[in-house]
Amino acid sequence: MSYSVSVKKMNEILKELQKDYKVYAPKRFEKRGRYSDTDLIRYAEISMVEEIVYDEKADFSPKEVIYPITQTLFYFTEHEYKESKVHDKGILIFARPCDINGIKRLDTIFLENGDQEDIYYKRLREKVKFILMECKEGWDTCFCVSMGSNQTDNYSLAVRFAENNLLVEVKDEAFNNLFANEKTTDFTPEFVTSNQVTVKIPEIDNKEILKKVHDLDMWESYNSRCGNCGACTSACITCSCFTTSDVIYSENGRAGERRRVWASCLHEDFTEMAGGHSFRNTPGERMRFRTLHKVYDFKARFGEEQMCVGCGRCTDRCPQLISFATTINRLSEEVNKLKNKKVSQVQAASKEVE
Amino acid sequence: MNHDINIKELQKNCFRQSKVPGEFMLQMRVPGGVIEARHLSLVQHIADTWGNGQFHLGMRQTFSLPGIKYENIEAVNEYIKSYIEDIEVELCDVDMDVNDKGYPTIGARNIMACIGNSHCIKANIDTTTLARKLEKLIFPSDYHIKMSVAGCPNDCAKAQFNDFGIIGIAKMEYDYDRCICCKKCVETCAHHATGVLSVEKGKIVKDTCCCVGCGECATVCPTGAWTRNPKKFYRVIIGGRSGKQYPRMGKMFLNWVTEDVVLGVIGNWQEFSAEILNHKPVYLHGGHLIDRAGYDKFKEMILKGVELNPEAEVADKIYWAETEYRANIHVKPACNTK
Repeated sequence: MSYSVSVKKMNEILKELQKDYKVYAPKRFEKRGRYSDTDLIRYAEISMVEEIVYDEKADFSPKEVIYPITQTLFYFTEHEYKESKVHDKGILIFARPCDINGIKRLDTIFLENGDQEDIYYKRLREKVKFILMECKEGWDTCFCVSMGSNQTDNYSLAVRFAENNLLVEVKDEAFNNLFANEKTTDFTPEFVTSNQVTVKIPEIDNKEILKKVHDLDMWESYNSRCGNCGACTSACITCSCFTTSDVIYSENGRAGERRRVWASCLHEDFTEMAGGHSFRNTPGERMRFRTLHKVYDFKARFGEEQMCVGCGRCTDRCPQLISFATTINRLSEEVNKLKNKKVSQVQAASKEVE
Repeated sequence: MNHDINIKELQKNCFRQSKVPGEFMLQMRVPGGVIEARHLSLVQHIADTWGNGQFHLGMRQTFSLPGIKYENIEAVNEYIKSYIEDIEVELCDVDMDVNDKGYPTIGARNIMACIGNSHCIKANIDTTTLARKLEKLIFPSDYHIKMSVAGCPNDCAKAQFNDFGIIGIAKMEYDYDRCICCKKCVETCAHHATGVLSVEKGKIVKDTCCCVGCGECATVCPTGAWTRNPKKFYRVIIGGRSGKQYPRMGKMFLNWVTEDVVLGVIGNWQEFSAEILNHKPVYLHGGHLIDRAGYDKFKEMILKGVELNPEAEVADKIYWAETEYRANIHVKPACNTK
């Protein structure tokens, strides 16, 4: 059932919901952007509809709600330890289809990769219900349609923001009573059907091509462009790498905590081993790893879908103006060239035999 | 040609004497160095009609039009009336009556500024808007003052070489939980600034005392752990100058002050100058004027009625470091007749 709800009423409903849920949405942090007098939009707890930034893309993804940047796993003292706690409320997240699909990728990594579930992820993730923010057009860096992540039915509520009211589809019966007195309407969310950018996924279907992709010249062009800052991976809804370390409290060398903090495959020390050896030593090599991870590795391992959902935040946030969509398309072209070369070689060889 | 021209009077109207007798160069003010490009057609018209067809991008960001003959100055002054109205009155809200006699004074020189945060990724402040506010305070005053506004401590605007150099700085704030210890801020701070950041237990610690407030840490931070406090802060450098005798870079007078403090200080400049110069607006570098008054007297007068914000820092003393073009240049005969 769908309803037309005034902003005032929706705020009352939010207030009611906050008894049982923490509600997260993209929120504006004025003048906290990378450059002077620019704003930062990122996920944070909200209590009013007016706080939700629905008409701009958030700089950061909602992954930080369920996978915090810094997360204490447990505390230890001498021979004892105590697991960290999380709040006892549910979590409601206002999210776009790409992000809801992105969190599905995170679920695969944290819950279905090997036979061990990540309990620190799971304990927050299982609290989550999504409120879909209808996204009909997207922005110039989006390529969700190419990645097949422009639609979802994984939501409890869906909203369309209008001037003075919201149209709300209630899919989860648990929320029915909150809207019982509201005017019904026939709203169902629409989805983006085409983006300004189209991305062609490279068809890497054998090890031989993969090996050649590894050695492509195109990666070297990023050596002078990419600054290895990791803004792309921090903004990415599907990047999930972290570093775990023990922090010993200085006042007492026998007490401390184990925590995990996001890591980035773009950082120089990401592959550094004891003794100083690193597997990927140049920005180009790190760009190659990231690109293939997003549009090859994940699917090769889990079979269903590419990791990248085409939210385009990596492009939006890159201070060196590297477009990920362009990078993927470049790679596709290179892969096509490799394949054509191979075909012509085979043809030439068969001619010789004749 | 038999010239009888009062050069000083013309200079007051911003016409500079040429080596060619009877020719002058008009210096048109562009406070903050930014105006709408449409004004260029007016500049071109003056150059083509009365000048020698060229214009110089003045060292203090003026439009400088050389080759204007004395007999055409009246016509030029009439013609620039609309420009003075547009720039000074409309844009900078300067309190003045604009007539067809051209610029009323050259005393307070054009306020220079870098492009600032309307464009630059490094800038911390809107230099253009500040320059226009300052113009209202110093123009049209016969008392000499040279000012420049820099968007960040990189100081492309050469605030260090002006009577007053105003530099935009930012109080940087660190969100411990958002930091992923990529060390980009540590590297950039050491490379571009004062190296006040270091790693401790997987997070960043800062030696706050020596932070210059440049904002580099925020521009490189991938997660938005470093952000600028939205409140704008300024550093004020005084007494910088070039010159043939003993040029010197300016010294820090105020640090972490708000715009209100900057405007208050500059608002006091004319009264300070008048007092020290016995109410005769003669040409004297601001640095010399401060020297003549003595720093303590300068400080007392220039901060009169100015309410300093809680974060503000004020120089207790200032020790200048001059480039003396000859040794002991300040040692002069005691019975100098002049």
